[in-house]
Amino acid sequence: MIALYLVAAIAVFAAIRATVEKNTGRKLPYVNVMNFAVAGAIVLLLDHPLALVAAAAYFVGSTLEANAIASTYAGGERRG
Amino acid sequence: MRGVSGVDDILVILFAAVALIGAVSAHLQRDRFGKLIAVGIIFGGIAPFIAARGYLDVLIAVSLIVPVTTIIILLICRRDAHDA
Amino acid sequence: MLGQLLHILAAAIVSWILFVTVDVFFRLPEAGGVSGASAIARDIEAGGGALSGGTMMGNIVCSPDASAGTLLAACGVYVAGIPGGLVAAALVFIGNRICHDPGYAGTTGAVLATFVVYGFTQVGFAATDFIAGMVIAILTIQGLSHAHASRLLARLWRVRQ
Repeated sequence: MIALYLVAAIAVFAAIRATVEKNTGRKLPYVNVMNFAVAGAIVLLLDHPLALVAAAAYFVGSTLEANAIASTYAGGERRG
Repeated sequence: MRGVSGVDDILVILFAAVALIGAVSAHLQRDRFGKLIAVGIIFGGIAPFIAARGYLDVLIAVSLIVPVTTIIILLICRRDAHDA
Repeated sequence: MLGQLLHILAAAIVSWILFVTVDVFFRLPEAGGVSGASAIARDIEAGGGALSGGTMMGNIVCSPDASAGTLLAACGVYVAGIPGGLVAAALVFIGNRICHDPGYAGTTGAVLATFVVYGFTQVGFAATDFIAGMVIAILTIQGLSHAHASRLLARLWRVRQ
């Protein structure tokens, strides 16, 4: 049970750091920490085989989102 | 002691804090990438509540829909910036 | 209470060593797999970090690598034992392909982590300790100080070369 509180606290910490950081490239690693924490929390909240698939779907989806934002950011910077 | 929903008061406060930080951040950010990242943070705060209720199929569907939506918004943003 | 915290701390150290070793072995700090990883590396370098460490952090953000493999393998062992860990490895493999990553760091890391986590559950650790431990491990790399973390990773990369 203490693992769940720890993971939730880390999620809040990472969300605050991501909000405070100004630079987009340095924001994304903080968001990545939050994604790890939330994916862990999903499995810790519900001990069910489908929870693993849900955590993997959440994690892969948010990684894909970060990937798309980062590559658009890189492309926009080069063009502009 | 866990309630019916699977989360106790401290966890509700912590995960709701994540979602609220994301919402306030989405309002305050100036940059369009900052705004999209903040929308991602909102969903990060909401996902544990869906999981705690046991709606895992809903969670799988929503976790695949939200990133695809973000990518579509990104495409629109990029075209906008290119035209401008 | 205190014993469980110590277990989580020990699990964090074990998973930190595991995922950094696999990532450095698979040459993640060498080049950005996608253009976004290079952009993150450039920003981290502009913030006072090292470029090769920043490239590895960018790769961790942009594609499920060994750290994601370790987390999902620990989740898999928690819900379904060794078969769960191997299913997690398969999911990480699919995730790698979705994110246009040609590497096998994530899949290898997940398979290795499955057996490591299962081995530790036989000697008194819980799989939940490894889930929380992996979140702490990724926090130390990506969440505390980008400049210091990237310099540490760059030093490890120089040792491997």
